[in-house]
Formats: sequence, structure tokens, C-alpha cells
Amino acid sequence: MRVLAFSHYVDLALELISAGKGLGEVSLIVTSDQEGRIGEIRGADEILLCKELDSGDQEGLVELISGLGSEYDVVLLAGDRRGRELVGQVAHRIGASSAVDVSSLSAEDGKLVIERMTFGGKAVAVEELNLPAVISVQKGKFKPLEEGEPSVREISAPSIDRRIEVLERKEKPKVGVPLDKAEIVVAVGRGFKKKEDLKLAYELAEVLGGVVGATRPLAADLKWMEEEVWIGISGVRIAPKLLIVVGASGQQQFAAGIMDSKVVVAVNTDPKAPIFEQADYGVVMDLYEFLPVLTKKLRELKGG
Amino acid sequence: MDIAVLVKQSLDVQELRVDQDTGKIYIEDAPTKAGDIELNATEEAVRLKEKLGDKAIAVMLSTWGASGKRQKEAREALTRVLAMGLDGAVLIMGEGAEKGDTYVIARALAEEIRGKFELVLAAEGSEDNFSGLLPARLAAELGWPYVAYATAIEVEGDHVKVTRSLEDFEEVVRVKLPAVISVTQEINKPRVPKLVEIVKAKKKPLDQKDFSPPDEPKLAIKTLKVPKVERKQIVIEGDVEEVAEKLVQALREEGVL
Ligand SMILES: Cc1cc2nc3c(=O)[nH]c(=O)nc-3n(C[C@H](O)[C@H](O)[C@H](O)COP(=O)(O)OP(=O)(O)OC[C@H]3O[C@@H](n4cnc5c(N)ncnc54)[C@H](O)[C@@H]3O)c2cc1C
Repeated sequence: MRVLAFSHYVDLALELISAGKGLGEVSLIVTSDQEGRIGEIRGADEILLCKELDSGDQEGLVELISGLGSEYDVVLLAGDRRGRELVGQVAHRIGASSAVDVSSLSAEDGKLVIERMTFGGKAVAVEELNLPAVISVQKGKFKPLEEGEPSVREISAPSIDRRIEVLERKEKPKVGVPLDKAEIVVAVGRGFKKKEDLKLAYELAEVLGGVVGATRPLAADLKWMEEEVWIGISGVRIAPKLLIVVGASGQQQFAAGIMDSKVVVAVNTDPKAPIFEQADYGVVMDLYEFLPVLTKKLRELKGG
Repeated sequence: MDIAVLVKQSLDVQELRVDQDTGKIYIEDAPTKAGDIELNATEEAVRLKEKLGDKAIAVMLSTWGASGKRQKEAREALTRVLAMGLDGAVLIMGEGAEKGDTYVIARALAEEIRGKFELVLAAEGSEDNFSGLLPARLAAELGWPYVAYATAIEVEGDHVKVTRSLEDFEEVVRVKLPAVISVTQEINKPRVPKLVEIVKAKKKPLDQKDFSPPDEPKLAIKTLKVPKVERKQIVIEGDVEEVAEKLVQALREEGVL
């Protein structure tokens, strides 16, 4: 099979190459803003370098990938927001099948068989896609390859009539320790009454040597966290050895993001909160009462 | 400028029962509803049309068959968004629609939208599948620009200014109409309709059309598996000190401290 890959993020592009090599030959599109990192790219057969296109140009990307895509069996894109924005557009332009957030893929009888989460994480769908197929790959599922220096071929960008103009772009503060790599996570929810109270969670995370994550409303709506990183189906999926969920109800869309955690502790005042069904250890208590005591006990333990 | 809001009849995933031992998924028993983020899209459409004085219509293509139960739920879901202030709704429904993939559904929806609307609003992802593929495919089918993850929308003549939230930055873009825009849950707080609005909504035009997929789908679901997640579900009892003590002990035994 011939595979075409692209991501706005070089780190994710490396994961796509790894996913694609399981199927066949991989060509990776590299845009002008990524040119400086070409030296880090391993495992692809070929780099298609487009110096005339910046990865911030969504319409240009759709045009370029759709144009090239018809010569390939599979187009792999990344599962970040901009990657997902491309999938449906490119698939439709080349008359391809599509799927997003794919966790495994293989070729079978001239089709692409993939797995992906559905129903808010309650099920995994195994789907058979006609070729050509355009899919996005779940982050963190494929390890970058270390071997194989690709050849580089320059390509030009198709000219198009643009209808989207970027007026402004503001960077968000960078994430410290990425949640998906953390060993210990304290996840906070709307049970916290004010932003300042999150200090209780940060102190607990500190004695444990962990990081703090949040539910979507806390991060995206209330913006209580430094950066918009939340856990769940529309955010990050985590796999720590210990997860302590504090003041979060455990709605399905959040729960989908914590399934791979080894040990889960839940602290919630409501004994009927769905989070208790997804926890190994449940504490039905007010977080304001419980967290300081737990932090103190852990500090004593770690100190002595 | 008339606005179409895509409202999906979503399975209520919170209510969906799955059996981890047998792997059975009780899809038929689960209720369906308008997805939460589609209420945000509806709210945005109502705000825009109130400012511009145009019409906003809900368009729903149901993919859960056409049983009496599903028909009733689809109409209830549409009544809900009509009560928020939309002017009318189109319900497209039929046996066999379950087999339609996003390719087929996008083509069918485009038929309903082309020539009638200049702005299509959708959710960043549906509540049950959350792929976000449909609005993107619809845009491609219509030949319109597509911008996802909107957190604010302003109409400026024949353009819309969209603020959108991405992982590492926030972007403001100017998009030429006609266009398809998908919104996030943070864009607004959907209004909660009053009883009288719900009563009035039942009298608003709801145009039901029959549907059978015109094209062959490009994918087939082979199986649906239920992931096994085993949790101990031990509730630790006692006073604060005791509970904290027992929890620390348990976590030490688990070897995670
Ligand atoms: C398509 C879609 C995608 C979504 N994606 C995500 C996602 O990726 N991630 C995500 O998180 N959400 C997501 N959501 C939202 C999700 O459905 C829930 O609304 C959200 O997870 C709830 O957040 P929460 O638990 O913080 O708040 P709530 O549900 O309000 O829960 C707060 C909890 O705190 C408890 N509490 C209150 N006071 C105290 C106290 N003093 N001590 C202890 N406990 C207390 C309450 O009992 C309650 O259980 C999505 C929704 C949709 C429709």
C-alpha cells in the first residue's frame, strides 16, 4: 500500500510514519514552517517538501493533500484539532472513506480495518474501510521509528482562491509535564468552588510528584487551568499508574479519558456520582475536608 | 442570510447500557436526544438570527432507523431546539438510514442545504460518535470553506469572523460566506426554554421527509466491542482521619505511591 502522511506537529508526524509503515511505503508532507526539523524525520520513505505552504493555511493544506491523496491508498493525519479538521474535507474531496482517532489499523483483503472508540468510550468500533481511506490516528499509539533516512523531493503548492483569512494568532502557554505521559495525576472538577481552592489539588499533586489535570468545564469554560488541557474524549486520554479524581462527576465523556489508568481513586460528596463506578477506591466526602488530611498524611509518609 | 443548524439524533451515551461480560450493547433500549453541543450551535444560530433578522432552521437526518420510538424522540429533540427560538425544522428519516456513513449523509444533507442557506452551524462532534467528520464533509460537498472549534462568531456583511480554540493557540479568522462552521461547548450558554416556548414550538413548521441512502457507504462496521475496565469499587468508610489512613495504606499495597 502507498501511504501519504501529514501533521501540523512534527512529533505527531513521526507517530504517523510509524503507523503507516505497518501498511507500506510512506510519503510525508513537510510544510515550510517545518523544514528546519527535516533532519529529525526517520522511517519515512520519502519527504514531500512544500516550501510554498505554511501549515497554518488550512485551505492550502486541504487542496495540497487532496490533490496528492488520489495517488495513495491511505492518507494518515493526526488526531489534534487541526488534523481532525482536515480529515472529513480531504476524504470527501477524494471520494474516500474516513475515520478519526484510530487506535489500530491493518490491511485486509484490499480494505483497511481500523479500531476506534465510540459511544463516548463505552464501545470500540471495528470498521472496514474501502480504499482510498483518510484517517486520523490516536495520539501516543505508535512509537516513532529510529531508523531510515527518507529522500527529499520538493513539491509545489496548488494555487487556490482563498476564502479563509487568518487575522490573529495568539499562542497559549505551554504545558509543563504532558498529562498523557504523567505517572500520577490529580484530576479536578467543578466540585471546586473557586480557582484559588485548586491549591488543595496542587499541594496533593506536589507531595505525590504528580501533575494536575481537569474536566472540560474547569479548563475550557471556567479557564481555571493555565492551559486548555482537559481529560476526556475531546481532550487528553491519560494512562497514569495512579489517578485521583476530585470533585468530578465522571460523566461518560470524561470517563473515556481515564480508562487506561491503573489505580483510580474518587473523592466526591455524592455517593451516586458515576465516578464511583469507575474507581478502585471511593471516598464519599467533602474535598475541602478530605484533601488537606490526605496531603498531610502523605507528606508524613514521604518525609519519614 | 438564512442559517441551518445540524442537529443529530444522538444516542444518550450516559444512559447506554453495555454488558462487559457478554459484550452486549443495548443500543435499541438507549434513548436518543439532541446532542449537548448541538444546543450550543442552536443558541448561536438564534443569537445571530435575532441580530440579523433572518431565519434559522434545524436540519436532522436520523440514522437510527424509523421506528415509532425513534420518530417520537427525533421530534422531541427538534421541539427542544425549536423552543430555543429556531423558526422551523426539517427531519429526514427512513429505514436503511443506519447504513449511511458520513459520506452518504453529507451528500444527502447537501441536497437539503444547497441554495437555501448561507451559513451552516454544527457541533465540533456529535455526542455519540464525536468524529466531527460530517460538517467537514458537508463543506467539501458544497464547496464551501470550513472552520471548526469556534468559540465566537460575528457576522460582518458577506463574511463571518470566527474565533477558534486550538491546542496551542487561539486564532481569529475571517471567512467568506457561504460557509460551514462547527462550534465548541464553550461558545455560549444555551438558553433553557420556558414551558410556553415549548408549547409554541410544537406549532412551528416541522417538515418530515423520507430517506433512503442514495449511495453505497464507503465503510462497514464489522463489530462493536465493549472494552473491559475492571475497577474494585471499594468505598472507604470512617472519619476523615481513618479514611485518609486507609487510603494511603491501600495505595501503598497497590505499589503506586
Ligand atoms: C460531545 C461532548 C464531549 C465532551 N468532552 C468532554 C471531555 O473530554 N472531558 C470532560 O471532562 N468533559 C467533557 N464533556 C462534558 C461532560 O459531559 C461533563 O459535563 C463534564 O465532564 C462534567 O465536569 P465536572 O465533573 O467537573 O462537573 P459536574 O458534572 O458538575 O460534577 C461536579 C461534581 O463535584 C461533586 N462535588 C461538588 N462539591 C463537592 C465537594 N465539596 N467535594 C467533593 N465533591 C464535590 C458533585 O457531587 C459532582 O459530582 C463533553 C460533553 C460533550 C457533550
